[in-house]
Amino acid sequence: MATSSRYAFTWRLPMLIWQAAFFVVPLVFMAAISFWLVKNYRMEPDFILKNWSKMLGRGFFWDAYWITLWRASLAALVISLIAFPASYSLAYKVSESVRRWAVFFLIVPFFTSYLVRAYAWQVILAENGVVNAVLGQVGLGPFTMLNTGFGAMIGYLTLTLPLVIVLQTFSLSGVDRNQIEAAWNLGCSPLRTIVQVIVPSARVGLIIGAVFCFILTFGDFVSPFYLGGSKPPTLSILIIDTTKSGQQWPRAAVVALIMIATLFCTAFAAVSAAYRKRTR
Amino acid sequence: MDNPLVSFTGVSKRFGQVWAVKSLDLSITRGEFVALMGPSGCGKTTTLRMLAGLEEPTEGTISIGGRVMNGVAAHERDTPMVWQSLALFPFLNVRENVEFGLKMRGVAKEERTSRAKEWLDRLGMSDFGDRGIEQLSGGQKQRVALARSLVTEPEMLLLDEPLSALDAHLVIRMQGVLSSLQRELGITFVYVTHSQSEAFSMADRVVIMGDGEIAQIGPPREIYRRPATRFVAEFVGRNNIFEGEARGNSLHSPLGTLPLPVTAFGPAVMAVAADRVSANRDRPGEGPSVKGRFLSEEFSGTSILCYFEGSDGSTIKAQVDEEALDLLAPSHGEVFWISWSTDAAHLVGS
Repeated sequence: MATSSRYAFTWRLPMLIWQAAFFVVPLVFMAAISFWLVKNYRMEPDFILKNWSKMLGRGFFWDAYWITLWRASLAALVISLIAFPASYSLAYKVSESVRRWAVFFLIVPFFTSYLVRAYAWQVILAENGVVNAVLGQVGLGPFTMLNTGFGAMIGYLTLTLPLVIVLQTFSLSGVDRNQIEAAWNLGCSPLRTIVQVIVPSARVGLIIGAVFCFILTFGDFVSPFYLGGSKPPTLSILIIDTTKSGQQWPRAAVVALIMIATLFCTAFAAVSAAYRKRTR
Repeated sequence: MDNPLVSFTGVSKRFGQVWAVKSLDLSITRGEFVALMGPSGCGKTTTLRMLAGLEEPTEGTISIGGRVMNGVAAHERDTPMVWQSLALFPFLNVRENVEFGLKMRGVAKEERTSRAKEWLDRLGMSDFGDRGIEQLSGGQKQRVALARSLVTEPEMLLLDEPLSALDAHLVIRMQGVLSSLQRELGITFVYVTHSQSEAFSMADRVVIMGDGEIAQIGPPREIYRRPATRFVAEFVGRNNIFEGEARGNSLHSPLGTLPLPVTAFGPAVMAVAADRVSANRDRPGEGPSVKGRFLSEEFSGTSILCYFEGSDGSTIKAQVDEEALDLLAPSHGEVFWISWSTDAAHLVGS
């Protein structure tokens, strides 16, 4: 018993060291910084609550918080819904080899930097960009898409859609085919089977996909900045602004800690909802 | 048979280049317990799935109650099925699983609950309604799967190897449950299995399939005693196969000249059931006899199957009881006379 647990501990050790060195220690350091004092553009170790009260007491912080939370939630929902038909057909309607190629091509976008892809969208979405040029041919537009919430959403799609489709495809592929057929067999139409059987069966994977989308978009800086026009600012833009204006690293740390706390709660709630057993 | 519940007419099914089922003709009467039996890949499951609308026939027509079912989707048919894996919904509790079919048919909540309760009671599962599927034993899951399929009171129940995942002692019990349910309800059971004991103990008629075709249809006893083809004789098992040339009323085989029950000429295959064969040490018994060297014995339930090797290397099986085995006390390599009466022999088509 003692030997086996020591053995297990040895294998767990690299992960523990990694998590301690690159997650726990910086987090503790950041928490400490949030109580430090900035004097003449220099940080001094201290224990003051002013950074917290200044940030949490300001309207602009809460405006940024709610817009970030709203956009990330909307992105998680919308992107999950957009991904579902694609994942459904990849999981059920195509052959094994097509599925394998599709998964491969869904990974390909990650070869290039997300920043590059966001820049590419500027060309497409701009006032005199590709989309408006095409729409102009049929007498529509021009529409303002760049520097809007819509633009940011396009960026979020670029960032997370392939990942969400891959996660959903795997979880849908894992659904027992016999259960799907059993539903049809009991008089459930294929469309209704999606709601009655497939979604409940694949719940864990679908929620994990949405959580990933939420996490990535909640902390994203590129899309809201380059495509969303940074007005209103999201929390990540707020962090940049705070550090730029007067070296306010402690206040930026406050924002970052609130973000981490939010992500932590969201991820925890979602994962426990996903794995909730239905036993009464 | 003039008004069958189900009829397959020239039904074929192709998957890619492979014909899983080849021009199948089969009629099933109302209230009949039919077993489709055969080795894996013989097309029995495909046949059942076509009946449920889960596969569309490539050729031919299937009708249920006089209505041609080609092109009718699975969810528009009333052909509930019990899966080998049971395919219960793990995200629903026992009662919700049983209510599922009724819910899909738009039956009101109160009626659903009372009908589900009725079926759970009937199958001895009344205390388990609120349980999760994962909390049930194999036998209990089986009962829930049955209740889920029968709650809509269908005319016909399809079963795809429903007992193959159960422990041996449970299989016997569930066979009893299935047989009595079928008799009480008076509905048609179409039962796919590779297990001879399941098919022969429950079914009114057994359909033996091989390579996508029906090899023989008949009551269990007839298939057992009078296998139509060599394939059936071998598949059903416990048959001794003698191959040779028929010349009038004798078969010239490598084991010697054996009397035939009928007159025939040309290449022929004769089958003798193992339970109609006796083994003697010193002299041949009554009727035709061949010599065989004792190889081994195999215990199965109350009977014992003794294996002998004929002079041409073929295997000869004799079914004996424990008492006879004690008397015989065979040792490996010992030569015995294996005898049967002429009327136990049966000439099969080759």
